Amino acid sequence: MKKQLFIIPSLLFLSILMIFLYILLIDRDPSHIPSTLLNKKVPNFETESLLKDKKFISSNEFGNQITLVNFFATWCKPCRTEHVYINRFSNKKKIKVIGINYKDSSKKAIQWLKEMGNPYYDVAIDKNGRIGIDWGVYGIPETFIVNSKGIIKHRHVGPITEKIYSKISLIIDKSE
Amino acid sequence: MTFYLGNFTLCLSLLLAVFQFINSRKKNNIFVLQFNKIAVNGLLFSSLLSFLSLMYGYVISDFSLVNVFQNSHTTKPLIYKIAGVWGNHEGSLLLWILVLNIFNFFIFRLYNKADSKFVSKVLETQALIIIGFLLFTILTSNPFEKIATEQTDGLGFNPILQDPALAIHPPLLYIGYVGFSSVFSISVATLSIKNSEKIPWYILMKPFVMASWTFLTIGIALGSLWAYYELGWGGWWFWDPVENASLMPWLIGTALLHSLITVEKKKSLQSWVLLLSILAFLLSVLGTFLVRSGVLTSVHTFALDPSRGLYILAFTALLGGYSLTLFGLKSKKYLNNSYFSFFSREGSILVNNILMIVVCLSVFLGTVYPLLVEAFTNNKISVGEPYYNATVVPIMIPAILIMGVGPILSWGNQNKLKTFKKIFPSFLFTVIVTIFISLFYGSYSFIGIIGIGLAFWIISNNIIILFQKVTNRLKSMIVAHLGIGLLILGITGSSVWQKEKIIKMKIGDNTIINEYNIIFKEINKIKRVNYVALQGDFSVHDKKKNIITKLKPENRFYPIRNSFTTEASIHSNLFRDLYVVLGEGNLNDGWVVRIYYNPLVMWIWIGAFTIFLGGIVSIFENTKKIKNLS
Repeated sequence: MKKQLFIIPSLLFLSILMIFLYILLIDRDPSHIPSTLLNKKVPNFETESLLKDKKFISSNEFGNQITLVNFFATWCKPCRTEHVYINRFSNKKKIKVIGINYKDSSKKAIQWLKEMGNPYYDVAIDKNGRIGIDWGVYGIPETFIVNSKGIIKHRHVGPITEKIYSKISLIIDKSE
Repeated sequence: MTFYLGNFTLCLSLLLAVFQFINSRKKNNIFVLQFNKIAVNGLLFSSLLSFLSLMYGYVISDFSLVNVFQNSHTTKPLIYKIAGVWGNHEGSLLLWILVLNIFNFFIFRLYNKADSKFVSKVLETQALIIIGFLLFTILTSNPFEKIATEQTDGLGFNPILQDPALAIHPPLLYIGYVGFSSVFSISVATLSIKNSEKIPWYILMKPFVMASWTFLTIGIALGSLWAYYELGWGGWWFWDPVENASLMPWLIGTALLHSLITVEKKKSLQSWVLLLSILAFLLSVLGTFLVRSGVLTSVHTFALDPSRGLYILAFTALLGGYSLTLFGLKSKKYLNNSYFSFFSREGSILVNNILMIVVCLSVFLGTVYPLLVEAFTNNKISVGEPYYNATVVPIMIPAILIMGVGPILSWGNQNKLKTFKKIFPSFLFTVIVTIFISLFYGSYSFIGIIGIGLAFWIISNNIIILFQKVTNRLKSMIVAHLGIGLLILGITGSSVWQKEKIIKMKIGDNTIINEYNIIFKEINKIKRVNYVALQGDFSVHDKKKNIITKLKPENRFYPIRNSFTTEASIHSNLFRDLYVVLGEGNLNDGWVVRIYYNPLVMWIWIGAFTIFLGGIVSIFENTKKIKNLS
């Protein structure tokens, strides 16, 4: 009996290592925090539009078709790198791309879109970050997928890369 | 030049370590000793040289090295250029290797006193650990990597790390972590050598345990001192995974050094001690894995690279698999069935041991649990203070109670009445002081009273031992235990009676916290070599409107790293700290100001330093014991 007891430490140790190995091997991002808004309706808001002369009213914009919502700002360098992918998303027929210009100068934002191309169907202005708070944004760029019923189906924090692009495309293809 | 010298010395170290490993396995005694002398001294020299050459690279701002480019800048003050060497993953590994070799050197010196076969076996194991970390450095994290394109200036050093306490925190902490490698090696050697029952391995091991534990203590304390005044959150311990990673070996180390005393006096608990000495180092390496692999995020997370995680995990598996299997096969010969009374010195040590292990397990569970949940359910949870308060505190209370009595008890059987007479005065003293302090702070919280009671329980018991002038009680032990008492005093005061106020203040506003009137006088812009700052000017007055101090918290901006830091401004005395942090704001709307009244915090640092002093004395006491071996 006693003899077998001495092997317990090594067995325990081994199982802890196996768990660590598993955690290391699965493709996970430790800084990723899932959104509490997942599978909930988009928060309502009303604000100025950057591109159009009328108000941006969220209840009019969401709930008709699949929508990609992208929080961006001209001062955010990663936003610049992901812009090509936002442009690529805007070529997809199935979805509408909406931008939210986060804590930014409107003048600069318009100039920026002229320079880099405008992928957005419309851009809502979030001057003081109020909309960002409602959406639980904690660092831009952030991208959300809202389905045709106005329910948030996916959230991505950080710039979109090639890998993320295909992942999000897949989610869009599956969404209704 | 640093590039060539650095890479050359790293490879030389690897060669020497392999040489030491092979040589230590040989049977011929005379040559083993001579060759090992070359290997050990050579290793110490070459690892020192590679460490110094990186330091040189930092001092002269040699941006041809990727590591220097990424972590330094020409405008940085010299002390932080030097501290920058270990403020990053690659450089800190060089320090890790240097410390490994310093301990290797001290193990070598055991040849003078101990069985040479035994020492060779220890050196063989130590060489294996050194090889592992050298390969890790060379293969995945070489600090001497050359940069592809020429750079004129570096990216700078994380500003919140530019701090004197943090400059010396990692070296001290590493002495602690890495010191356990020697304890590990001695344990493995004891398990693998025949006839090791005749070797006083527990005496040889003791100074190494004491050194590791002592430096780990002061390393942790400095880290939390830094967190206290630099992070600006008003607290000094946050149950961050990295803090936990250093706390776990400390708890095991505490259990280990106490049960070593039992082995020394009563020859019992031998297999238990061998297990603990293996676990202490394995937990140190696992802690490194958790931090460096990016499995957990924390304030300490270094650059992430999955290959590093895999390497450390594989290496831990090798060390742990080897040592624990050895333990499973060989340790039964150290098991003795002589049971002892619960009511004796060794009994109290054993109970405390078990409690330490339980605390360590619950800290481990709290650290790893979020990972487990995420791996198996895809949910994210975080385990925070409420968990640790609910698990650690209740286990610590009996542990501290026993710690108060333990040193008074003698080895073997006890006369219960006599013991009671001995502890009665201190019991009385404790009750009186506790009532007095509770009245003074006007707080009757249950945990607060318990904490203060425990603190004075320890303090008064140790003062009694001091006055009894019993010769066989070591001074170092009394000092260290006194330190623990003071530490508990500080922990209790600052966590139970802390007052916090978060308000928006404009210039000219005032606010009252615990009878202190704090007036926001003005705000100034100041400019220093490597940062600009907004500095608030607060004056603190007492009830009689006498000015007590001026507090000047800062909001710093470091342009090179494009980052902000907050500098809390603290006024300390033995009774309380006043702690002011300047938050966001502007002239029109005012600034968010956080003010803390933290009672007795100073005693945490005094306590930790007292423990450190006791530890240092004990290292010498225990080294003397080795010298006295025939």
